[in-house]
Amino acid sequence: MEYDLIVVGGGPAGLSGALKAAQNGVRVALIDRQEQLGGQLVKQTHKFFGWSQRYAGVRGIEIGRRLRDAVCAEPRITVFAGTEALGYYPDNSLLIESPSGVSRITAKTFLFATGAQERMLLFRGNDLPGVYGAGAVQTLMNVYGVRPGRSVLMVGSGNIGLIVSYQLRQAGVTVRAIVEALPQVGGYAVHASKVRRLGIPILTRHSIKEAHGTECVEGATIWEVDDKFRGIPGTEKDLDVDVICLATGLTPLGDLLWQAGVSMTYVPELGGFVPIYDENMETERPGIFVAGDAAGIEEASTAMLCGEIAGLSVAAKIGKIPRQRFEEERNALAQELSALRSGPLSNKVRTGYERIRALVQGRRGR
Amino acid sequence: MRRSVEEKSSLEQRNVIVCRCEDVTLEEVRRAIAQGATTLDEIKRLLRAGMGPCQGRTCRELLARELAAHLGKPVGEIMPPTFRPPAKPVKLGLVSRMVEDVSSGDGDSSPEGGESR
Amino acid sequence: MKSFYGDLPEKGSLLSSGIPSVEDLDGVLPPADARKKGPVAVLECFQEIPCDPCGYACKFGAIKEFSDVNDLPVIDWTKCTGCGQCVAACPGLAIFVVDETYSPEECLIAMPHEFLPLPERDQVVLLYDREGRHVGEGTVHRVVRGKDKIATPVVWVRAPKALGYVARALGLPEREGGSRN
Repeated sequence: MEYDLIVVGGGPAGLSGALKAAQNGVRVALIDRQEQLGGQLVKQTHKFFGWSQRYAGVRGIEIGRRLRDAVCAEPRITVFAGTEALGYYPDNSLLIESPSGVSRITAKTFLFATGAQERMLLFRGNDLPGVYGAGAVQTLMNVYGVRPGRSVLMVGSGNIGLIVSYQLRQAGVTVRAIVEALPQVGGYAVHASKVRRLGIPILTRHSIKEAHGTECVEGATIWEVDDKFRGIPGTEKDLDVDVICLATGLTPLGDLLWQAGVSMTYVPELGGFVPIYDENMETERPGIFVAGDAAGIEEASTAMLCGEIAGLSVAAKIGKIPRQRFEEERNALAQELSALRSGPLSNKVRTGYERIRALVQGRRGR
Repeated sequence: MRRSVEEKSSLEQRNVIVCRCEDVTLEEVRRAIAQGATTLDEIKRLLRAGMGPCQGRTCRELLARELAAHLGKPVGEIMPPTFRPPAKPVKLGLVSRMVEDVSSGDGDSSPEGGESR
Repeated sequence: MKSFYGDLPEKGSLLSSGIPSVEDLDGVLPPADARKKGPVAVLECFQEIPCDPCGYACKFGAIKEFSDVNDLPVIDWTKCTGCGQCVAACPGLAIFVVDETYSPEECLIAMPHEFLPLPERDQVVLLYDREGRHVGEGTVHRVVRGKDKIATPVVWVRAPKALGYVARALGLPEREGGSRN
């Protein structure tokens, strides 16, 4: 089987990219580590923001189902589920490991939509059973129907920390507190208000000092932190918890991009090292495209749009759609994207993308 | 007095895990840096941090922060270690089959072909 | 401070604690004539985020069309019937309906409620303020489950009139599993 495009990652960005490309005549191989496509959407039980014409008001799980159904119904997409991408090779091939074995597939173009990795924190007892990433807690509850414990300390008040706290309460688990090292809540105010109404305290300028327990988490100590996030001795408080849930941010997962020799740059506003890419989502290695969290930590609504732009760009690059139609469609998607990013809460990511744009323009100018 | 503070802080660092896959502690990382390690690759080779099942996805950034703080550099200047395939550990049986494939000139077998083996 | 909305910070608390302040709530309080007329939507939405479903949910054109998806919702009080469609539609669970004309002693409050089991009609429920403090009891007037099982249920509660702008969450008297914090 010959493919025009290999999409690595079946989350919102990868699914949207695969669909957009296939709908425009591109033969696509879509690879995902999980048996069930959807990425993080499979556990996102909250309703999305954004446009009603898109997915606003729809729960993530439902968006995942719609995208999955569309991908499976698309004859030009071959899905490799439960398949890990092990390595990228310069002959445009990808080494993959599926349940049935290892093989190589090749294509003219690649879309790496490999997502993100959760950030870990350093504190005493940080490897005790009962210390979870927020993603794992969400998977346990919303995919497998398992409560992670009875009483939780949430570390981090970004949208993930707030949403997972809410979902823990929906599952009947107590959330003792959400601690946030910054002086302000990290996530949207509506999510914060939602958990406050449930009686969950959000302690800003607080962090975890240590986890207690011998075999597993039996408690946690939190303390106040100063402007440089250093703990202030004397402010310690002990909490009776058996779960410590870390929602301290994400960093782009670019292992395969590094392997492929794509130019990378460190952009703190986007979560770490990200590939340098242009307005078509193409990196400086021609034919290698990126979308979603791997291209900069943001959220699923923008990831889907970036995926669509990448898919469309692939179709144009390999001559499946005329230049003019491509530019019209891409510009329309880019406009939607910039509208989504135009609010005051997107200041940070806007700064990040401006950095990348400046780099690209600087290099073109040379 | 000063010594006891150091001892206490070293005890604390012993219970802080940086690389969960390979059980590398903060104390070990700081000692390696104090002994002259200046890159993530050096720390990796000295301590195996980043060589376990997750291939450094969890500890890479923590190690970079430690190095950056010690070297007085921004964390963005600490380059990640070299990335090579495979991106995650694979079973030796799979590797041996891959070697057979390559030596029999069947290197880019299709996934369908892979299934029949 | 003690206020019409309960015990809340005077201002500036939303971003530091997630609790809207008296100043925030003053900005979205429906005008007196609208409140005297009957049920009316209270849009406790204070932050410009890209989000527009309330505008689409309103069948009466009371929530004005968004020119920018990041706009805060703007409501035309003369058109709002207090039907509660926007309560179920708001992804942020930030919209409530209050009817202060229900009876001389009681008001009606419509609240989004995504917890199972759902309360039943005429059941007594506990009411909580914006900080999760228990502020009194109410009686379930109506439960609107929505079209499908993943819609946000809306629970209408009869409550003492003084709680109309204070109570913003409800719970069952005997809680299953995890307690409130």
